[in-house]
Amino acid sequence: MPQTPLVEISDLHFARDTRAIFSGLNMQIQQGCVTAIMGPSGCGKTTLLRLIGGQLTPQQGRIKVFDQVLGGVSRDKLTQLRGRMGVLFQSGALFTDLNVFENVAFPLREHAAMTTDELHDKVLLMLEAVGLRGAKALMPAELSGGMARRVALARAIAMEPELVLYDEPFAGQDPIAMAVLQRLIRSLNDSLKITSVLVSHDVAEACEIADDLILLGRGGVVAQGSPDKLVNSSDPLVYQFMHGQADGAIPFHYPAPELITEIRTTKAKSSLQASIQTHSPESH
Amino acid sequence: MLVKYLQPLGQWLLRSIGGLGGALIMLWQSVSVLPGPRGLQRLVQQLYVVGVQSLIIIIVSAAFIGMVLGLQGYTLLVDYGSEQAVGQMVALTLVRELAPVVAALLFAGRAGSALTAELGLMKATEQLASLEMFGVDPLHRIVAPRFIAGVIALPILVVIFNLVGIYGGHLVAVDWLGVHSGAYWGNMQAAVSFVDDIVNGLIKALVFAVLVTWTALYQGYMCEPTSQGISTATTRTVVYSSLLILGFDFILTALMFGGL
Repeated sequence: MPQTPLVEISDLHFARDTRAIFSGLNMQIQQGCVTAIMGPSGCGKTTLLRLIGGQLTPQQGRIKVFDQVLGGVSRDKLTQLRGRMGVLFQSGALFTDLNVFENVAFPLREHAAMTTDELHDKVLLMLEAVGLRGAKALMPAELSGGMARRVALARAIAMEPELVLYDEPFAGQDPIAMAVLQRLIRSLNDSLKITSVLVSHDVAEACEIADDLILLGRGGVVAQGSPDKLVNSSDPLVYQFMHGQADGAIPFHYPAPELITEIRTTKAKSSLQASIQTHSPESH
Repeated sequence: MLVKYLQPLGQWLLRSIGGLGGALIMLWQSVSVLPGPRGLQRLVQQLYVVGVQSLIIIIVSAAFIGMVLGLQGYTLLVDYGSEQAVGQMVALTLVRELAPVVAALLFAGRAGSALTAELGLMKATEQLASLEMFGVDPLHRIVAPRFIAGVIALPILVVIFNLVGIYGGHLVAVDWLGVHSGAYWGNMQAAVSFVDDIVNGLIKALVFAVLVTWTALYQGYMCEPTSQGISTATTRTVVYSSLLILGFDFILTALMFGGL
C-alpha cells in the first residue's frame, strides 16, 4: 500500500459560534487508500469534509491537499484544486431541474473541453459504471434514495478526480443499495487509482471497505489505524463506538443535575408559588 | 439599568447593518459579471418563471381593481355631474399608484416567496454547496439570472396591470353604467402625462422590482437550511418586501408628485 499523504491536517482549530468542534486536530490521509472517518454524531465529520473541500476555513491550523495549503489560496486556485476532487454529498445534491444525464454531464459541460459526442459517450460510461445507464432520462424526483446516491457518485467521478469525498454514503440506504454503494466505492477506488475519504457511522460497512479508519472525538483524532486494530482497541471510547454500546466513555445521559435533586427543586418552587398565591390580597 | 435596554438595541442595529452590508455584497457579486450565451438562456427561463407565471394573478387582480375603480369613481362623480371624468380618475390612480404598488405586492407574494423557497431548498439539499465544489459560483449561476429576470419582469407586469385595469374600468363605467366611451378615453388622454405619470409609475415599478427580488434572493440564500428556516425566510420575504414597497412608495410619491 502506498504511504504518501494526499491530505495533511495539522493543529486544526474550528468552532461554530462558541462551540469548539476541533481543537488541535492532526491527521493524514494516504494516497490510494479508502479512509473512513468515523465518530459519534456531532463530532464534526461532515465539517471536516467541508474543511478539506475548502468550503469552510479553519480558525487556526493548516490543511494541505495535493501539496497545496488551502488557507489563503486564490478563488481561481481553489476552483482548480476542486477540479481534482469529487464530492458525494449526503443528500446526493442532484440538481432537481436537470435529468440524470444532464446531472452527470454538468461538471463536464462546465470544465471539460469535449465535443458533444465525446460528452455523450463519457456520461453513458459513467452511468454504466454505477449501473444506471437505463435511467438517464429520469428526473431526480423519480429516483429512489439509493439510485440518487449512485447518480451523484457518477457525477462526482465524471471529471476523474484524484480525491473523492463521500459524506455519509450509506445513511438511510436499504441493505441492497448499501452493498451496491460499498462495492462501487471500493472498485472505483481501485480501478481509477483514486483516494477515497468517506464519512460514516456505519461501523460494519466502513470496516468492510476501508484500508484505514480514523475515529474522531474530543475535538481531535481518538484513534487511527486498520479496521482490525480499532475493533480490538482497549480504549474505552474506541471500544464503545466500534461495538455500539449505549453507555460508556460517551454517557447515555446528556449532562444534567441529579434527577432526585431536580424533582425536589421543582416541587419546592411549585409549593412556594402556591403559598404566595394563597396569601396574596387578590385571593381574598 | 439603561445598558440593559440599550444593549439589545445596539445588537439589533449592528445585526441590521451587517445584514444590509451582506445583502449589498451579495447583490454586487451576483450582477458584476456579464452573463454569457448560456446565462441568457437561463435568464429567459427565469423570465418565464417569475414573469409569465405571475401573469394570471396580475391580470385577474388588475381587472377587478379597474372595475372597482370604475364603479367607485362613477358613484362619486355622478353626484357632481362629472361622471365623464371617470376615465382620467381610473387611469391616474392606476398609473401613478395602484398598478406599481399592487403589482409589486402580488409579485412579492407569488414570485418573491417562490424564489426564497427555491433557494432555501437548494441550500438545504446541498445543491448550492455542490455547485461550489464544481467550481461554479452559485451567485452567478443561480442568483444573477433570477435577479435580472425579476427586475425586467415587474415593470412589464405593471404595464399589463395598467392596461387591464383601464379596460376593467371601461367595462363598468362605459359598458355597464353608460358613461360615454369617447369621454372616457378622451379625458384620460388629456389628463395623463407620459413623463409625469407613466414614466414615474414605471420608475416606481423598477425600484420595487429591485427591492422585492433582492429581498427574496437574500432571504433564500442566507436562510437556515431547515424546514423551519425556509418557512421563516419565506415569511420574511413577503413581510419585508411589503413594508419596503409601501415605505418606498411614500418616498417616491413625495419626490415625484409632492413638489419636493
